[in-house]
Amino acid sequence: MIVDCDCHNYWSSAEVLLPYLDEYHRDYFTRGEQPGPRGSFPNANRPWLHPEGFKRMDINPETQDEQYRIMKEKHLDAYNIDYAIMTGDEAMEASTIANPFYAHALVKAYNDWLIDEWLSRDSRLKGSIMIAPQAPDLAAQEIRRLGHRSDMVQVLASHGTERPYGNPFYHPIFEACAEVGLPFAIHLGGQGGINTNPIAAGPTRYFWETHALLGQSAQTHVASMIAEGVFEKWPELYFIVIECGVAWAAPILWRLDADYKALRKETPWLKMLPSEYFRRNIRFTTQPLEQPETGVEHLWSILDAMYGRETLMFASDYPHWDYDDVQKLHIPPEWRGDVLGNNAMQVYRRLQNAGVNTTAAVETA
Amino acid sequence: MNGQGIHACKASDVAPGQQKIVRINNMPIGIFEIGDGEYHAMLNICPHRGGQLCEGPQCGTAVNGGDFGIEYGRRNELVRCAWHGWEFDIRTGEALADPKMKAKTFEVSVHGNDLYVHM
Repeated sequence: MIVDCDCHNYWSSAEVLLPYLDEYHRDYFTRGEQPGPRGSFPNANRPWLHPEGFKRMDINPETQDEQYRIMKEKHLDAYNIDYAIMTGDEAMEASTIANPFYAHALVKAYNDWLIDEWLSRDSRLKGSIMIAPQAPDLAAQEIRRLGHRSDMVQVLASHGTERPYGNPFYHPIFEACAEVGLPFAIHLGGQGGINTNPIAAGPTRYFWETHALLGQSAQTHVASMIAEGVFEKWPELYFIVIECGVAWAAPILWRLDADYKALRKETPWLKMLPSEYFRRNIRFTTQPLEQPETGVEHLWSILDAMYGRETLMFASDYPHWDYDDVQKLHIPPEWRGDVLGNNAMQVYRRLQNAGVNTTAAVETA
Repeated sequence: MNGQGIHACKASDVAPGQQKIVRINNMPIGIFEIGDGEYHAMLNICPHRGGQLCEGPQCGTAVNGGDFGIEYGRRNELVRCAWHGWEFDIRTGEALADPKMKAKTFEVSVHGNDLYVHM
């Protein structure tokens, strides 16, 4: 059983959203100032640009049909993926837009396009309801609008934010997630624009340097979600951290536990150690898994210290430049079944009822 | 040069900066010309993570211009793997960032307009 928890469904131009926008926001999109060429999404706020582009260079679809066909051939079929969870791409950058109504209109249009153009094509494809977190009430509306669909398996936002996700400002989002029974996921991205700088000490200058450091904001979100009592208010809620690195988690948990023991009076609503909330409610996706020069055994001992066998879920990050091949994942061989699929099946409860689409459960250990 | 070369393609099929990918003995091989009139062959499987090595661009790269400046150099001497973008020296197969990582290369001989790969 293989579940890919981070599979990007692209468009060739953001103009695919036009039919899904109301007239007012269609005007915004077509008449308003654009940051890039015709058809670009309003996300020119991105401060770090990859010098070679984000995509694998052997994947160059032009039409929507090709987008799907190439994903199917080079990824889903090639690796016997049972389910691939669509994480969009540019749409996540809506979180950088100051006007919350426009940001909301864009993600709403994206979600409808996702259903029509992707989820309808292949039952292995499952959706993430994209939200604009700067408008938590509107985000909650969107979660309730689509949250009962059997082909939507999580709520998704970027990890670049105006404030840490545990802040009560965002709680309407988690309330809606809990109501419809979906996990809340954050994915690397959404830096710039109205969002605070995700790199502590000020902006870095180069893409690779920055990419390696983007776990910083994820660390803040993890600590905040635990400290603000999100998992006491919604004990069933899963918080999924996508593409932010994983090996930093264990040392942060050690610190959180030790400091909490000394200062628990700050947050009397907590009933367990931070690491216990982590183990119960937080999940990490693998890609990009750290690759220690000094030997993979160092990584494995760190993964073990973050309860990796229970908390890690496979992600390929198709079709991005740092794509991970299922076969080449550096995790202990006896964990493969759990990390490649079993953990995701537990977290994405909706998949449990969907049944397995392919009969060939490939054992790659 | 080892053994009998196997016919790969016409020399005129390969231009500097535009590699051709062929199948020889059921193996995918990239044939390159880097502008020095010589031809080079490399297995289209990246030693880093098994990606489509030769389907990436044939290119040059930034060389340190001294005093932390950037200059462009080594035009067409490198191929950048299509998956993760690692740069490999087309002549030697060595990855620029990690010379221990070496792509498999083969010798190429030219007879008239025909290229032969020696495996």
